[in-house]
Amino acid sequence: MTADGEKNQTKTNYEQLMKQMTGLKYYTLVMLNSTGNRQLREIEVAKRFFVDLININNNTNEISDTLIQKRLLELFQNNSSQSSLLAQRCLLCFISWQSEQVCLFLEKQFGNFHGFTCGDLLPYVLDDDGNLQPSNTYQCFSRQILDTFDSEKSSLTTWTSRKVKQHKELNKYLLDCGLYLISDWAILNDTKPQQLENILGEFHYLTKLEIEQAQKLLSAYHKVYRAERFSQRANNKSRGRCNLPTIPQLQEITEVLKTKEIYMSTKIVMQNLQNLADLLRQYRIHVRGASFPTESLDEELNEFALIEQISAPKSENIISEEDETKDFLKNYRLHMINCLDNGIKTVIQLRLKKLQKKDPEKANKFAIALHLFHCQRLSMSKIAQQLGLRAQDAVARLLKLKEFRADVRREILVKLKEQVIELAQKYSTPTSITSLEAQITEALDEQITNIISQAEVEATTMQSNVAMSYFSQRLCRQLDNTN
Amino acid sequence: MSLEFQRLPTESLNIEPEEINQAVELSNKIPDDSRQWQTYINGLALFTFKKWIEERDENLTVNWQGSTIAKPSLANAIPIITNLQVGQFKICLISLGSLFDEQVSFPKLVIDLPEFVPHFYVLVEVLEEQECGVIQGFITHQQLIENIETQTTNIQRDWTYQIPLNWFEKDPNSLFLYLRTLEPEAIPLPVVTANRQQQLAAIENELVRLLPQLQAPETELWQVLNWEQGSVVLTSPELLEWVYKLQNNNLETALASLQTYLLDFIKLITRPAINLGRWLWDELDEIGESLSWQLLNLTPAREFRSPAEEFEAIKLQLQSQGVEIPTVARCGHHNFLLAGHPLRIYAVVWNSSAKNDPNLWSLLLILGAPVPNTLPNTLKFRVSDLTGILTEQQVNPQQVNSYLYTSVVGAWDEKFIASVNIADGVEVTLPPFAFDNTRAGLSK
Repeated sequence: MTADGEKNQTKTNYEQLMKQMTGLKYYTLVMLNSTGNRQLREIEVAKRFFVDLININNNTNEISDTLIQKRLLELFQNNSSQSSLLAQRCLLCFISWQSEQVCLFLEKQFGNFHGFTCGDLLPYVLDDDGNLQPSNTYQCFSRQILDTFDSEKSSLTTWTSRKVKQHKELNKYLLDCGLYLISDWAILNDTKPQQLENILGEFHYLTKLEIEQAQKLLSAYHKVYRAERFSQRANNKSRGRCNLPTIPQLQEITEVLKTKEIYMSTKIVMQNLQNLADLLRQYRIHVRGASFPTESLDEELNEFALIEQISAPKSENIISEEDETKDFLKNYRLHMINCLDNGIKTVIQLRLKKLQKKDPEKANKFAIALHLFHCQRLSMSKIAQQLGLRAQDAVARLLKLKEFRADVRREILVKLKEQVIELAQKYSTPTSITSLEAQITEALDEQITNIISQAEVEATTMQSNVAMSYFSQRLCRQLDNTN
Repeated sequence: MSLEFQRLPTESLNIEPEEINQAVELSNKIPDDSRQWQTYINGLALFTFKKWIEERDENLTVNWQGSTIAKPSLANAIPIITNLQVGQFKICLISLGSLFDEQVSFPKLVIDLPEFVPHFYVLVEVLEEQECGVIQGFITHQQLIENIETQTTNIQRDWTYQIPLNWFEKDPNSLFLYLRTLEPEAIPLPVVTANRQQQLAAIENELVRLLPQLQAPETELWQVLNWEQGSVVLTSPELLEWVYKLQNNNLETALASLQTYLLDFIKLITRPAINLGRWLWDELDEIGESLSWQLLNLTPAREFRSPAEEFEAIKLQLQSQGVEIPTVARCGHHNFLLAGHPLRIYAVVWNSSAKNDPNLWSLLLILGAPVPNTLPNTLKFRVSDLTGILTEQQVNPQQVNSYLYTSVVGAWDEKFIASVNIADGVEVTLPPFAFDNTRAGLSK
């Protein structure tokens, strides 16, 4: 055998393998066993059906999902055909693989920080029993996906991904983990018809006529859907995520549209609403990126991860910058420390009090987490482990460090200002106090900012070999005193 | 790929079920469904803000009872919440839904009408579906005005400015610092210099023509009024209440007489009233004096054909019809002309408070013509209060030399207004009648 032949042989083997792998998805179902673990189940009848189908239709080695799915859909939709149920089974198997892919993707993207695994998500989307006939009492999720799929509008892969990501219960679970995906219906609820002029016209370049139609559709949707949501809210019936519009709701919308001389079937209304929501969603992301570049996941993570070490300013420098030329600031250093301690104490006490009211257990965890972070200098993920919290995200929400620092800063400023002005009054005439006050506020604020930013730097570089910030030193003293 | 999950900001605050209920309740009273939704979202923004402030600083509380969302008639006309009170500061909340533009709609009224201008405008993002909210930023009134003056900001047809989101200070934490350490004077606010009542009285005829067009609940003020008219209406709580009732289909007046009622309504709230409470002390107030009302001395000697003598006759006539005037009552009269016809009106007033019905007063009005004149045939006599036209009577041509009379009862703080009409557009409206028999009222 020549070298070329060897190469060809390898290539053929590889293609063979790929073909098998591709095929596998159409007759093997990803499912959960009775103990909730993932397992693969090969469905014999589906396999025979599928292998025959491929051999008849495909004499070359080339095989594409698009072609396979097209053929399977034809067979599935042709109800008279004997193979309809089998073709459906193959498509359902494919959907199970695709659903798992979406969950794996979510885990990879967010799981670590937000504390979930693919295995936590699968139970929501994998409930297909693998039978040929659908159950009379219950429609499993993959059948819902297949039933609503329109091959002219999207591919089965995209559609499955879309449906999985919008799964109501899955969304609820992820929201508890600190992640959200806003539904089409919530976006439509919050959009005013007047906004469409700009969004559809200047962002999406739609024509005037298209915009007018969309405005009428949106108004009709508001009239029906929002009223319903509102009354559900009033009756405590609906919690959280918006439901799909029901058939009667869609019918009502078509009736409203008729009065505006727009005639659409409920199916088209549904499609147009979803298309509109898609356009709005794209715009939403665009605006959000530009207006509130909310801390990306990476940034948020960086607050706790070990990033490049920034040398922290020496704590002595911060409070030795007093202005010697002014008499009234002589006792300043002492006051500063005093106020910092007081501020930290006030803020911790308030946090504990508020948390205790809601959940004493949480208050307790907060106190421990604060200690572990500032005094023991543990990372967020370590703290999560120690406290039995879901993940870093949960620790971040518990500590709310940014707010904590802002609150301490405010308390220091308020207290220091009172004390320094009292001091200053000994040296100044009352008339000059007012203008002095502004100067002091400014001067103090600058110094406090110094202390706080040092603490911020520390938070992003939490490492045992970096000197502990003055803020942390005082905070830990405070915690030690109270314990 | 636009269908991506997002991290809920660490700063986001949960909105509790009872807060959702409260927001629903606040918006339930709004007649139009899109304003209702807006009010609901505003309510969620309010509770987010309240929680944000009160969880973080024990020295601060948010008082919203005096804010625009607490009163349905204001919430119905004002698409945001203003006049929230935190300590000595006034706050306006602008809520953003899950979809917003790079610019946010800022009602002109919170920038240009001193009654509604706050120290701080705070941006609150509300995720209704996720039941949480985030404070996204704020701007002081001063800064906002500076920006508007230096950058071109066009006023929109619907009385809003489009304010870019990047004008807002992104770190809302500084707001705490300001609220705690600033004196309110540090952010000077405009004061009301205009005389709103005068402004309102000056355009009463325009408003009488235009306001009834707001009857369909979905109609907005800006669709019917220009800004000058709008600013007058927005600064009159009574007129906003009137519009609110109109849109709720809650006015007791028939549509045909809506304009007449509205005219009486505006006069009631703008014209200085005669205080009849003073009469019980045998005194006229300044307004009564300036219009030459005269008090009748009910007991002493009578001149022939004097008003006092005439009133005695009227009293007897009324008695025969079963209308009794208590002896504690005081009576005054006033002569006036309507299209050349001399007319005379008697007003009889008494305190009609009873044990189980305290703080009531009664007013009996009798319209006649001084002898030898008689009331013209086409004459109509109308009495209204803030709730509607109470009576409208016409002369009975069969009964010569008759009087028209009407009797009304109201709470001490209620006023009545009487008009005499001889043809379309030819009418005299007397100043409103009020009743204040307290010391403060007496010294006025």
